Amino acid sequence: MRKMPGYILPMLLAVLCPILLFAQVMVTGSVNDTKNSPVPGASVKLRNTLLGTVTDATGRFALNIPAATGELEISSIGYKTQVVNLATANLSALSIQLSEDIGRLDEVVVTGLATNVKRRNLANAIATVSSKDLAGTAPAQTLDAALNGKIPGAYINSNSGAPGGGISVRLRGVTSIFGNTQPLYVVDGVFIDNSSVPGGLNVVTAAGAAGNTSNQDNPSSRIADLRPEDIESIEILKGASAAAIYGSKAAAGVVIIATKRGKQGKTRFNFSQDLGFVKARKLLGAREFTEERVANSPQGWDLDEYKAAVAAGRIYDYEKEIYGETGLTRNSAFSMTGGSDRTSFYFAAAQKNEEGIIQRTGYRNNSIRLNLDHRITDNIKIGFSSNYINSSADRGLTQNDNAGVTFGVALSSTPGFTDLHPDANGNYPRNPYGASNPIETRDLMTNNEKVNRFVTGINLDAILLKTDKTTTRLIARGGVDYYNLKTNALFPSSLQFQQVAKGTSIQGFANNLNTNYILSLVNNYNLSDNLAFTTSMGLTQEKRDFDNLLNVATQVISGQSNVDQAGSLSASQFRNKNKDDGLFLQEEVTLYDAITVNAGMRIDKSTNNGDPDKYYAYPKASLSWNITRLGMPENTFVDNLKLRVAYGEAGNFPAFGSKFSSLLVSNIEGLPGSLVSTQRGNSLIEPERQTELEGGFDFTILNNRLSLEFSMYRKVVKDFLLQRSISTSSGFSTEWVNAGDLRNKGIEIGLNALVLSQSTIRWNSTVNFWKNRSKVTRLDIPPTVLGAFGNSLGTFKIEEGASATQIVGIDQGGVKKLGDQEPDFQMNFWNELVFFKNLSLRFLLHWKEGGDNINLTELLTDLGGTSPDYDADDNKNGKPDAEDRIDALGSTATIFVQDASYLRLREIALYYNFKVPGNLIKGLRIGVSANNFWTSTKYKSYDPEVSNFGSGFSTGVEVMPFPASKRASLHLSIDF
Amino acid sequence: MKKIIFAIISGLAVMVLSPSCKKEIGNLNNPTIEDFLENATKPELNNLVTGIESGMRNNLAMYLDVVGLIGREMYRFTAADPRYLSDLLGAKTATLDNNTFYLTNPWASRYRVVKNCNILIEAATNSGLLTDDEKKGYTGFAKTIKAYQLLLNLNLTHSNGIRVEVADPDNLGPVLAYKPSLAAIKSLLDEGQTELGGASVAFSLTSGFTGFNDNASLVAFNRAIYARVAAYDEDWAGVLTSLDNSFMDMDADLGLGIYHVFSTASGDILNPAFVRQNEAGEVRVAHPSYATDLQPGDDRIGKATLRNSPVSSSDLTSNRDVWVYTSATAPVPLIRNEELILLYAEAKIRQGAAGFNDAVEAINTIRNAHNLTPYSGPLTSTALIDEVLYNRRYSLFFEGHRWVDMRRYNRLAQLPKDRAEDDVWEMFPLPLTE
Repeated sequence: MRKMPGYILPMLLAVLCPILLFAQVMVTGSVNDTKNSPVPGASVKLRNTLLGTVTDATGRFALNIPAATGELEISSIGYKTQVVNLATANLSALSIQLSEDIGRLDEVVVTGLATNVKRRNLANAIATVSSKDLAGTAPAQTLDAALNGKIPGAYINSNSGAPGGGISVRLRGVTSIFGNTQPLYVVDGVFIDNSSVPGGLNVVTAAGAAGNTSNQDNPSSRIADLRPEDIESIEILKGASAAAIYGSKAAAGVVIIATKRGKQGKTRFNFSQDLGFVKARKLLGAREFTEERVANSPQGWDLDEYKAAVAAGRIYDYEKEIYGETGLTRNSAFSMTGGSDRTSFYFAAAQKNEEGIIQRTGYRNNSIRLNLDHRITDNIKIGFSSNYINSSADRGLTQNDNAGVTFGVALSSTPGFTDLHPDANGNYPRNPYGASNPIETRDLMTNNEKVNRFVTGINLDAILLKTDKTTTRLIARGGVDYYNLKTNALFPSSLQFQQVAKGTSIQGFANNLNTNYILSLVNNYNLSDNLAFTTSMGLTQEKRDFDNLLNVATQVISGQSNVDQAGSLSASQFRNKNKDDGLFLQEEVTLYDAITVNAGMRIDKSTNNGDPDKYYAYPKASLSWNITRLGMPENTFVDNLKLRVAYGEAGNFPAFGSKFSSLLVSNIEGLPGSLVSTQRGNSLIEPERQTELEGGFDFTILNNRLSLEFSMYRKVVKDFLLQRSISTSSGFSTEWVNAGDLRNKGIEIGLNALVLSQSTIRWNSTVNFWKNRSKVTRLDIPPTVLGAFGNSLGTFKIEEGASATQIVGIDQGGVKKLGDQEPDFQMNFWNELVFFKNLSLRFLLHWKEGGDNINLTELLTDLGGTSPDYDADDNKNGKPDAEDRIDALGSTATIFVQDASYLRLREIALYYNFKVPGNLIKGLRIGVSANNFWTSTKYKSYDPEVSNFGSGFSTGVEVMPFPASKRASLHLSIDF
Repeated sequence: MKKIIFAIISGLAVMVLSPSCKKEIGNLNNPTIEDFLENATKPELNNLVTGIESGMRNNLAMYLDVVGLIGREMYRFTAADPRYLSDLLGAKTATLDNNTFYLTNPWASRYRVVKNCNILIEAATNSGLLTDDEKKGYTGFAKTIKAYQLLLNLNLTHSNGIRVEVADPDNLGPVLAYKPSLAAIKSLLDEGQTELGGASVAFSLTSGFTGFNDNASLVAFNRAIYARVAAYDEDWAGVLTSLDNSFMDMDADLGLGIYHVFSTASGDILNPAFVRQNEAGEVRVAHPSYATDLQPGDDRIGKATLRNSPVSSSDLTSNRDVWVYTSATAPVPLIRNEELILLYAEAKIRQGAAGFNDAVEAINTIRNAHNLTPYSGPLTSTALIDEVLYNRRYSLFFEGHRWVDMRRYNRLAQLPKDRAEDDVWEMFPLPLTE
């Protein structure tokens, strides 16, 4: 047990003194923009206090304050902040005009665990995503999908089109190879879990049996549980220079999510309803058969069956039958917000129900949120956030397998002239050309994930001491993220591939409890108007307790799914627990509100490290200089110019259990056996450490109409964790080591422009460009091949001097580099056009140039004789192209490594705001939107965004995925 | 006001005070090797014995597939991985890769069992809770199984060799050439024989060891393995001596022997080499030459049953299913009487004409059992060896022998190539990680 730092108590006691609640003065007024349109939702705050309110729909506000002194600060995202001195103002009719702020310079960005600065003084390029960006255009199915294409510096990749999400987010290049590559998600101060829990489908698909032991179960990521509609804003700390204060959890970046809070004033209601559909983005098509092709097939197809099928006119397109469904989607939400001057609330209840592009797949999400804020006294504010989520995803059976049971693998060898449809009695024919009948599998199997989740956070903000010059606050945040995940995979005994197992029921139960707190003291000290200090210090703790029980029952009694209704039952349990403690100290100095110097240190220890008591230190420092405020003569051209540089370090803990050499259970005939694990323990394992140096400049010109943000970074991951292959003659196959260093370098350029600003049309445009290059600069072990299916099919290889994401394979008698998964660059182009104030058109284009995938889908359809272009002869050698490709198998892997560039219209939407007469309905909005409706790519398979191995290091490997989809919706939203 | 302060302080105190004082969480999921090495109890050692028996089955089906494919005994058709029919059969320009599952998975699984054997040896030796005779039981068993597992890997890499000294992962022994590897395996078996001879067996084995679960019968098992190794080493006197001490019995059931067993019990696995007859997609089918080369009347045709319709993949076709393991719980032999009788015949032939009659007698035991007339061919070494190899091919079909046998007699060139550009590989490269 550690001691409570000695200074906390006296400081708490100091709260007693300054709290005096006497006279009350009412301030009222209105807030308008430069066109004299009201600004609703603007924040009105008395500086250096917790007192504040927001404007209503007509831009009006009323606020009780203790005395007619001090400064009132009025701010709203997209506008410059205004400060009004109350001593000289007309308190009963304040009229405030906010001017536009295209560079978002006055936006407040969270930079510490308890502190924030204005973007104007920020030293990092921190991406923010507002609720409008997130869900206001064309809502995606899940939160992770909604981020795609919107964050400069990020490589976001959809693992598959399966309902319920599953997305890999990589910020500024690959930050870890075998460690965690996914950012930390913090929602209202609660560190939430984003793991993927596999459902044990390997038992049926045997995908882990040959080639690769990675999890190929296609699980969703748990961040998908959060509803994007509940989110107010997201900040993305992309690397250690911004995220160092999160210490050893921050190496992959931090995504800070703030949910919507209550607003003081009349209770407002909103009801919104979306209706839409989802369809496969692309189908590959079916091969055309002729008698000659069937007769000469290497698969030994039955010519008589083909002739009979042609005679009867029964040639099926099974790909279309399986993947060609149109799924209906609906999303209903009700929210209510309001409050008094002390207490405010935000309540939302919502349900989303979406069908997939495969029958019997789909996603459902029910969510209830209550966010409550209460001001206990003028100096103490407490906020609660609570969210209950119930979600269910039916994900079908797709991706790699070694048993011929997934839809895709079965389709690859099934020609359209064989009949797989059930007879009148519901009996499915056996597929003579595959191990399973995909129609039967689809109709009878179940692969469901159900989640019940509670996320609750508390946020306490107390002003302990306040004088003219200094304010000391205690900020305590913390919370609980608990979920229960039930996976249900059911394969009835009548299935073609269940003749040996006689029915399989795989029931998984996972419980996860994350708890964390951050206690901090923050002192603001304004020595003079030109010199201010912000000091913060505190302690943190994060705990995780994960328990996963997987039951596999075979010989299941007909029609039953309970695991006891079975002839055979095997269970496995996996637990994972860690406790991490940290201390931090941060000092920020602001000179003339123009130069900001920030330095901080975090020290961390974790039970996952080889030595659980050893503290690791993660320092950071940054400097930003706003030249227009200091150093540059007043001018009319440049509104704002800032130079900035930041440095920071962050870490990534070793995986749980990497220090142990264990023995696993291995039973035979009911005798309990212990068999040594294939993973060798390493008692010396240490966290990997990332150091990042970032620099750049931002400027805003043309009367705030054009702003540009330019950043460069150099990010070095030292002692990266690698599960290296060791000589298997040792009895072990892998061992965790701190294997070497790798480096990411990149640039990010963002341009915001208010292209047109007239009363009839207003056009806002954003263009971002970003690129990243990685290189392994040191490797203490021999080059390591990992992440795919070996040299003959193309694989990743970690090699000194080479890109960390290079793809190698056999070619011309040797093994050489064939591609790289890293894109050459990415760009996005976001536009919002508003006509006559009420009609708005928004769209987002996303361009990924370069970056290769390993496409093995084509190989399987070639081998199965079903590729749509099987008989094409592009090289004019008189032989079908597919056979050329098959001939290349074993001598070159170049054909599998394919360019996955794309230009995609991710979102487009048209909305109209109606003015409804009368008092009842305050606003009515109708819109139509589409996601991923248009894509230009040369990639041959379903979609360039794909990952057979889920969210880890090796994205971009494709083996018969759940095809990606496109969606369109109608939206109706009513405020009353 | 005081109330609020008190509430805040107590709230924070709850948050900060709640962590327990325990610093190390430890391994929550399973025991560690260190747990076993300190004064292991009998139940712990027995868990290791069971782990060894269970672990021997990991990737066993893949081993049988790989050896069966290269030895042109059978085909493994699967829509999911093309490399069974490309790399293993040397289609076109495809070659064996040193880092692909068909080699690395079985290889690693065998050494994993070897590791378990080494842990068992060390744990039993360190334990103060056993008598010396009990210790010998554990170590003798561990050495015998270790030798057998090493032999299976040597079958894959042959003159590219194996490592024998692998107890210390930081200091692995050298890769030995073929002959020295065989010698090392033999000496391990000899140590095992000595230890088992005076042992008291304190552990339980599965029904796969029925009749072979006391010290004397485990010695007989050890000697049977030794006979196979000696034959590979062309130490024909050694074959005959060890067969004398093995369970070879001309009058007993040919299936008498030691088996890997499978069950539906908790945590157990089903026989992965089992495929139902007439399946599509995922199948194991007999090489077409299996039926055409068979002598008329030979009942071993029953190991490759006729399908309702032929099945093809990548220009390969067969109309017979492999039907050696006929249920999901059918056992897979480690070694059995039928092989020992044939080893006896082979050794007798190789020792010269004096042994031909004994050899013919042994061959006829096998021929009679399979509904064939007694051997009537010439009494020459070549003809008799042909006959032994014929019987080994059919008696030990899909038990992992054909490829090894043809290689021993330099007859790999006689194996059929079904597609013009196929190759018959002699051996696997050493895995990349070695």
